[in-house]
Amino acid sequence: MATPPTGIRIRSYNVGFGDCFLLTFNYASGKPRNVLIDFGSTKQSGTGPSGGMKEIAEKIREDCGGKLEMLVATHRHADHISGFGGDTGKVIIELEPEIVVQPWTEEPGLDPEASGPDGGGNGALHARAAVARISAMQAMAAAALEQVPRLERAPGVSKTVTEQVSFLGETNLANLDAVRNLASMGKKHVYAHFGTKLALGRILPGVRVDVLGPPTLEQSSAISHQTATDEEEFWHLAGRHLAAVEGGDGELFPGAKKARRIPQEARWVIPRIDRMRGEELLAILRSLDGVLNNTSVILLFEVGERRLVFPGDAQLENWHYALRECDDAEAIRKRLASACFYKVGHHGSLNATPKSLWNGFEHRDAKPEPGRLATMVSTAAGKHGSTARGTEVPRKVLIDELEKMSDLKNTQSLKSRSTFWNDVELEF
Amino acid sequence: MEVVAQDPGVLRDGRILTTTVKVPWEDLEPGPVGHRVCVVDYDSSTQTMYKPAVVGEDGGAPGSDEELMGDPGFHARNVYALVMRTLARFEYALGRRVNWGFRAHQLKVIPHAFEEMNAFYSPEDEALVFGYYRTPRGVSFTCTFQDVVVHEACHALLDGLRQRFMAPSSPDQAAFHEGFADIVALLSVFSLGDVLLTLLSEDAGKGTPREGLIAKDRVSVDALMDSVLLGLADQMGGDIGSPRAGALRRSVRIEPDEAILDWPEYEEAHARGEILVAAMMRTFVDVWTRRLESLGSIEGEYLDLGRVAEEGATIAASLLTMAIRAIDYTPPIHIDFRDYLSALLTADGEIRSDDSRYGLREGLSKWFGRYGIKPASDAADGRWNAPEGPLQYDGVRFQSLQTEPIEMFSLLWANRKRLRIDPGAYTRVASLRPCVRISPDDGLPLHETVAECTQYVRLRADELGQFGLTPPEGMPPEQELTLEGGSTLILDEYGRLKFEIYNPLPRKRSPSGNARAQARLQYLWENGAMNAGAGFAARLATMHRRRLGLDDRIARSEVW
Repeated sequence: MATPPTGIRIRSYNVGFGDCFLLTFNYASGKPRNVLIDFGSTKQSGTGPSGGMKEIAEKIREDCGGKLEMLVATHRHADHISGFGGDTGKVIIELEPEIVVQPWTEEPGLDPEASGPDGGGNGALHARAAVARISAMQAMAAAALEQVPRLERAPGVSKTVTEQVSFLGETNLANLDAVRNLASMGKKHVYAHFGTKLALGRILPGVRVDVLGPPTLEQSSAISHQTATDEEEFWHLAGRHLAAVEGGDGELFPGAKKARRIPQEARWVIPRIDRMRGEELLAILRSLDGVLNNTSVILLFEVGERRLVFPGDAQLENWHYALRECDDAEAIRKRLASACFYKVGHHGSLNATPKSLWNGFEHRDAKPEPGRLATMVSTAAGKHGSTARGTEVPRKVLIDELEKMSDLKNTQSLKSRSTFWNDVELEF
Repeated sequence: MEVVAQDPGVLRDGRILTTTVKVPWEDLEPGPVGHRVCVVDYDSSTQTMYKPAVVGEDGGAPGSDEELMGDPGFHARNVYALVMRTLARFEYALGRRVNWGFRAHQLKVIPHAFEEMNAFYSPEDEALVFGYYRTPRGVSFTCTFQDVVVHEACHALLDGLRQRFMAPSSPDQAAFHEGFADIVALLSVFSLGDVLLTLLSEDAGKGTPREGLIAKDRVSVDALMDSVLLGLADQMGGDIGSPRAGALRRSVRIEPDEAILDWPEYEEAHARGEILVAAMMRTFVDVWTRRLESLGSIEGEYLDLGRVAEEGATIAASLLTMAIRAIDYTPPIHIDFRDYLSALLTADGEIRSDDSRYGLREGLSKWFGRYGIKPASDAADGRWNAPEGPLQYDGVRFQSLQTEPIEMFSLLWANRKRLRIDPGAYTRVASLRPCVRISPDDGLPLHETVAECTQYVRLRADELGQFGLTPPEGMPPEQELTLEGGSTLILDEYGRLKFEIYNPLPRKRSPSGNARAQARLQYLWENGAMNAGAGFAARLATMHRRRLGLDDRIARSEVW
């Protein structure tokens, strides 16, 4: 039996709207072992390091002593992986992670462009379709982003709608450079799903890591009886049409006559069409955003009886399998209940911390007693959702509850340009 | 006017099949803009306003396929003609003018609203919007798909006839708008003989002694389902594909089963609507086949192809009229499929007493029954029951009953006990519509007045007991909610009550009526319909969650 670590430090860097967590496991003898979970940002913080993401990358290098044992990219949203591309990506590559963990949807063999082995059978076919759908979605995000200047010009479209289309469009863009870098890193690469066994014996001695999500299509379709849905058709066609757009969009009706001025009878309805267009785009981007969030890898770290939960941006749909539908859901809920640390899902959004999960945590405590649950959130207000509709990120009622019942470290409270991180230290 | 007969994928002799439809003449402004439809050719994705189209003397006859698809003006005329034709079909069937579901008189139709695979009716914008999308094989314009245009126009018309049918109520009501719009769209396409002829011609000629014949074994129920219904689905959209072909294919393949409405996979609105379409399409094909059996054959084994298509188009047109006319005979609030069947049988029976030629009513009863849809009425023929005894007419002026809602209300109030009107509720006569329908039996006009009376009660969950209802599990006592009820009253030309079609407010001493109200309450609560917001994104999200076995109740209890 390997000697377990004696303690851990969890460091959350102020990336603005995004996630970046460095887990440093300390051992009684030998050097510490480091796990980096995500490194991305869509909107950098005004109070972050003056050197931006580059400075954070260098700080990560320093904090891990130039070596990562494990790297996790929970899902392919920009606010979780953008740092793995470009100059900052070069820094991370030099840290030579032993193992890289990503969700099963990232497996290169499933790429519709790739000719790698796919295992055959219907399952692989469906999985490929799902992956094709994701690239179609990302192409759609790019197309939506191109619409932003037009939305800005249209008087019928509200500023909030335009801003959110722009924000969600950027978040959902394909980060090709980051994706390529991730594929190139790691002596070992694991594309994980619920139940994947991570053999970390030599990499992280004494630490058990369970993958609680995302479920595979077979796992989640075991629950449902429906197969083909309008949703699937929708994304497929959307993807196909975008593929054609890339080939050159051109004019819709070459040579068709345009009106010299807007006719009087059209003036009432035109701002309304523009508004509909903006809202439709936003609605599509929102649902796309949710689908990608639900590809997040959910990890449960365990040292002896101490447990730490890192769910990426997983929303209810992803959590649902582990919490309710899988065969050992009850045992899993029990283990989760004893957690001493919880990384708040999806920057504190309303549907990424299932209430039943939260209410199950036994170490929640209204008083700051020793052994109280520690929580961390990496977020930035005013980027995502709307307070009027109760969809703001972070959701205020959730943050209030986290502050009341746990030791919460929130990146939003970081104000120093030189100390741009929060730490949680736990003894095992 | 010249229109695309179904969509650009349905071809004859390698060219897009077009057909001429008749629309009521009017002096049009460029757009075209007429008294009921205003086409605005604005593209929000490129922020382009195309030159308003003019309808010429020739009705806009198209040139080559490329000219046809590349001319926004043709698209504008196409949608104008199809929406006007649908409106005219409704007005013909109902025997009166029909309003849109909003106060203005002109529906705005946007043929190229934005680049997106979507088309919808937006009541708050008084508009039908059609998107377009690019594919590797070309651009697909949803405004050139007849079934899509008619389907969306139908939403706008049904909304004008029964505003409360868009509100959440039950799985059936959610499905009804979709199913009804699909039925009207398909029957509308089939009532154009050109489309049927093209679909039947595909392989009719094989083995026949000469052209223009079709073998008898190719007009059985199964063969017609295959050649006409699935054939249409296969051709829809051609290479590019149609967003709606899948739905048609699914409805045709739904095998009858009397318990099908209880299957969990048919709880979702679109899937459930497909059952209604399935029942109607099987009726169509079955009636058609039986009609063909009575036609004399040629050389023992063949039928005249043109005649076969013509009979099909006639039957489709008759069913279309029935389907629309039935709306007047539905309750104003909370429709389910059984109500619709009784409405179909009653409305048709009132105006067409002799059903022996085609057996349409018999066909509908049979096929709806096989999909588990039995008439809501307990009468042997499935029609609504006539009321017992006359109403109290003291002080009511007959003449005004046809035109003055207040006069109608005074009649209702005087008879409130008899007519199940709750005196404590918010009550109004939501519509009053005199109609003149022409009987195909004798050509004589049938005068009727249709009135909708709706009632609302606003209360808290802890007051539900007063109405004999129990709050669903998990509903907080302070939850505010509204109970709705209402009746449709059909009066004859002398103001006498012919039918009273009702879904009254629940009452403490009416356990049978309350069972439906209780089920409705449960459905609304479980589906989150008591919370605001159910747009496209919400719908997709709900669908996605359902697939994971995560219902809305769980989802609601898990979020912050």
